[in-house]
Amino acid sequence: MTDATSANVPASAPVPHASSLLTQTALMKKRNAAETRFKAYGIAAICVSLSVLAVMLWTIFSDGVSAFKQATFTFPVTLDPERLDPKGNRERDEMMRVTTIGYTNLLNQQLVAYLAERDISTEGVDDKDIAAFISRDTPARLRNMVLDNPDLLGQTIRFEGFATGRIDGYIKGRVTRDTAERDTNISVAQLDLADRMIDEGILSAKFNWSFLTAPDASDQRPEAAGLGVAMIGSAYMMFLVVIMVLPLGVAASIYLEEFAPKNRWTDLIEVNISNLAAVPSIVYGILGLAIFINFAKFPQSSPLVGALVLTLMTLPTIIIATRAAIRAVPPSIRDAALGVGASKMQTVFHHVLPLAAPGIMTGTILGLASALGETAPLLLIGMVAFVANYPAGPLDGGMLDPATALPVQVYSWASRSDPAFIERSAGAIIVLLAFLVVMNIVAIVLRRKFERRW
Amino acid sequence: MYDAPTPETRLTQNTTKITARGVQVYYGDKQALKDVNVDILDNTVTAFIGPSGCGKSTFLRCFNRMNDTVASARVQGEILLDGENIYDKRVDPVQLRAKVGMVFQKPNPFPKSIYDNVSYGPKIHGLTRSKTELDQVVEESLRKAALWNEVKDRLNEAGTGLSGGQQQRLCIARAIATSPEVLLMDEPCSALDPIATAQVEELIDELRASFSVVIVTHSMQQAARVSQKTAFFHLGSLVEYGDTSTIFTNPSDPRTESYITGRIG
Repeated sequence: MTDATSANVPASAPVPHASSLLTQTALMKKRNAAETRFKAYGIAAICVSLSVLAVMLWTIFSDGVSAFKQATFTFPVTLDPERLDPKGNRERDEMMRVTTIGYTNLLNQQLVAYLAERDISTEGVDDKDIAAFISRDTPARLRNMVLDNPDLLGQTIRFEGFATGRIDGYIKGRVTRDTAERDTNISVAQLDLADRMIDEGILSAKFNWSFLTAPDASDQRPEAAGLGVAMIGSAYMMFLVVIMVLPLGVAASIYLEEFAPKNRWTDLIEVNISNLAAVPSIVYGILGLAIFINFAKFPQSSPLVGALVLTLMTLPTIIIATRAAIRAVPPSIRDAALGVGASKMQTVFHHVLPLAAPGIMTGTILGLASALGETAPLLLIGMVAFVANYPAGPLDGGMLDPATALPVQVYSWASRSDPAFIERSAGAIIVLLAFLVVMNIVAIVLRRKFERRW
Repeated sequence: MYDAPTPETRLTQNTTKITARGVQVYYGDKQALKDVNVDILDNTVTAFIGPSGCGKSTFLRCFNRMNDTVASARVQGEILLDGENIYDKRVDPVQLRAKVGMVFQKPNPFPKSIYDNVSYGPKIHGLTRSKTELDQVVEESLRKAALWNEVKDRLNEAGTGLSGGQQQRLCIARAIATSPEVLLMDEPCSALDPIATAQVEELIDELRASFSVVIVTHSMQQAARVSQKTAFFHLGSLVEYGDTSTIFTNPSDPRTESYITGRIG
């Protein structure tokens, strides 16, 4: 509108203000101001997102890093053969008659004796309170150790065993004297003893490999819970998803992009693929429950069913990414191939697909990353179950054994009452994030490496 | 203004390679080409000229059925290559394209090595039996395309790394490696600088010895320089077809005269 006014001035009349380039017109100032404002909005938006991300990461890491450490006792244990192998024949079956309780008593007595030997005051605590320091998981581990290696009997070994969640929490600062006063599971006197044991080097926080390798543990033994089963389950699922989703997604994309006639049916299919990509993931869980478990009778909680559901869920995303990658190959390459007499399929497989491969790989890896982090559909097919046994190897039907997945493990730990599980939940998120970061880096590296210019 | 056509052209002695009868092309409802009849001679460069959108590229792409790749395109009429209708139901366009090679407007080498670019056609058509034979075909094609001396030491380097003119000659080498009988060129020099254009034009003249060459061009000078026969298209119709010298010096249709003198187009 402002431009029009100048046009209304009769051509013969002299221009009233010969405009100088050195001064900005009012309109120009307004336009520049708008641009400056817009840039400020953009920077503000980025700052907000970055700070939210920083807060999120800080929360996760401050809560979760401690999950990789565990309060551990280190003290000499004499493995009395008369108690652990009463018949004295070192037969595994005979030795298995000594239950975990036998080992618990042995450990308790040896710890009490060791404290007395080191002249550590046990003021205000009785033997039962000292026994309560040792995790219920620890005797079981000692028992497995002895059963696997009966030669240990009769020896005095330097044994490392987990402390209970409360003591662990005290070392990590989760449990304080204030909370102990209100806690029936721990007393202030016990914490005083813990302090003395730390000073004497009997109790310390050590890196906890079993957090990465051990299976889940019950509510009473948070210190024993690990991500082993969840990681195996996730790995099985990712493997199955890759081998199912890549051929399906790439074949569907190539057909739709290069061969399919453009008509109402293909339009309908296209619209539906886009819609499927937006379907809430829990819907796929219900679908999987109905089809794969109730109808096809696949075993519940198995990585196979999880992978099938995740395949269905990621398929639309991968088809969309693959089609975009195929479409990005310039038509001149197809013309060139057709021009020298390549058939349509030769054109696609010799020329289009190699050029689209980096895009397809990137799309696939990002699709897998989202599948790796997916929780909701897995809840519905029973992968949220408490699984204390490792699934079998991949060739021994392990894909059909019950397992959990990393995000599901996060969910199930977060919903337990003991704060020690919340810490582990955050630790599991760190592991999950590490996998996601690695996958994204691989995607970026692949794209950089295979990117071709034409 | 125009270079005189080469005097030694003996058009009448050449046999007819392609015969087009009543060719009509539709894109959807729109008619792009109206009832075109033309005889393309062997060992001759035939130029198609005309303003943009006149249908000359469309017509060119009928000769190797590249129009088949356009979903909305429909072709009617007959195009005979050595007396056989290429639009017969029994003809496989893939087989046809081995006989009728094409060079495109923009150089479009495959993002592969120079060797792979040239050897691709012979490989997929199974024209060679051994690696040495394939090497020979590659060398021969690159020599014919006047590119051998420039690339013989770097056959394994990417074809896309060559200069524009070299890329276009590589595309020509790729097209002639399948030993086609007809070579179609769709504005092969429009993306090239004058020096590269001159090289390609020289090459086109040499290719005439082995192929029937049909070239679409926007440049009338180019048509006058390289072709012996010229067809002028306007608004989807073939207006005039004849010896290049006649078309440029003594056109019979007023529209042709207007176009070559620059009044329309």
